[in-house]
Amino acid sequence: MGWQAFRISVEVTAVATVLVVVVGTAAGLLLARVRFFGVQLVEALLMLPLVLPPSVVGYYLLRFLGAGGPVEALLKVNVVFTWAAAVFASAVVALPLMVQAAKTAIRGVDPVLENAARTLGSSEAAVFFRVTLPLARRGLIAGTVLSAARALGEFGATLMVAGNRPGHTQTLPLFVYDAVQNQQYGLVNLVVGLLTGFGLICFIVIGRLEPGRTK
Amino acid sequence: MDDRSGMRTRFALVFAGTLLAAWSFVVSCGGGAPTESPQASRPSPSVELVVSAASDLSPVLAELGPLLKESAGITFAANLGSTGQLMEQIVAGARVDVFLAASSTAVEQLDDKGLLVPGSARLYARGRLVMWTREDAGLKVDTIADLAGPDVKRISIANPDHAPYGEAAREALESAGLWDRLQDKIVPAENVRQAFQFAESGNVDVGLVALSLVATGGGTYTLVSEELYGPIHQTLAIIATSTHQEQAAQFVAFLTGSRGREILLKHGFVLPEED
Repeated sequence: MGWQAFRISVEVTAVATVLVVVVGTAAGLLLARVRFFGVQLVEALLMLPLVLPPSVVGYYLLRFLGAGGPVEALLKVNVVFTWAAAVFASAVVALPLMVQAAKTAIRGVDPVLENAARTLGSSEAAVFFRVTLPLARRGLIAGTVLSAARALGEFGATLMVAGNRPGHTQTLPLFVYDAVQNQQYGLVNLVVGLLTGFGLICFIVIGRLEPGRTK
Repeated sequence: MDDRSGMRTRFALVFAGTLLAAWSFVVSCGGGAPTESPQASRPSPSVELVVSAASDLSPVLAELGPLLKESAGITFAANLGSTGQLMEQIVAGARVDVFLAASSTAVEQLDDKGLLVPGSARLYARGRLVMWTREDAGLKVDTIADLAGPDVKRISIANPDHAPYGEAAREALESAGLWDRLQDKIVPAENVRQAFQFAESGNVDVGLVALSLVATGGGTYTLVSEELYGPIHQTLAIIATSTHQEQAAQFVAFLTGSRGREILLKHGFVLPEED
């Protein structure tokens, strides 16, 4: 029972983190390097899940993914109460952390170095992957770890949009919620300890990635 | 010193004064209420009962509220949830006056713990389980076996661990030999009202819910045969720690009286025989 939740949590977190890293890094690059009209609005929208109540995020996701929403109309499938919805909820709440980390890390890369690569004939893709990305890697890794931790810990929006289905969408946070109600405190303590330990490790890893620290 | 700092000081004083006035207002209103004068305590119109009610009663209580206020001057705040969760709250010491459960076992457990006013437990209605679908879903769910059909992709039920209607749903599916087969379709909800909301929003195809939630609304429903699950004996009681037992008794009298029975009947409950 707890193992199922563990497996689902690992899978959901892994997929959500991959999505968040790709989308978040792209968004961070955009915000750090491109000036366009409405840039602050775009950033504010990306950051919103950080401050909105989980119920509000959950409601938006229900409207977006659920019956009568755009995703159902497009894909002809309603993913509410499925594993995919759990991935989506985790990704949406973790995305702001990755965007911020990526933006800050990429801003910290000296544009002179990028321009030097350009004058030497590198394509934009090569500049990004061979200059910007390696130089921003500490911040990006820290953002990835933080996003993964947040994705693993997602509860409120997941409950609303993916439901609490043991074996299908019940992640560890939802498992804890159920197990407390069923007064299975032994299991609760085990999972709570696991999640707390993971959170601590994440922050220690992030601390070690801070600039100015020797490896 | 100069004009600006003087203005700032004055502003700070006005601001502090406003805060103080607001604070004393709040304190005098909030703090004054419990120390009522003795002669005013008799009718005490300011009492608001806390009624912990199984979520299948939400339409009943919505209708009962204004009538009760009008006829007896009693107001209440409904705390809706699954019977099991509400019971846990009471065990944990929640300040509740009346408990309207959707089962008899929860009330019996509280009685065993000595948390009820002795003799206040009482059967007030029998609930029934239905299979509900949206009109626009175009699904034909006439018997419980239809739930196994390919058109039914997801089915919501209340959480069988702590919600009586969920327990009844599980029992009915088990009796029909479908429980194991339907595991991949089942979406458990916190309580039966949420199970209905899942179906109403169109995110599940069928909701196994309380008749009382759907009797007067849209959609289509089929009663689940009562041979498939144990009777849902909805039982109420007054909580021992209630400080408004007189009003709580009035509430119970109203719910189990002719007007309350009328409302319960309208929402599809089966009523116990008159005493």
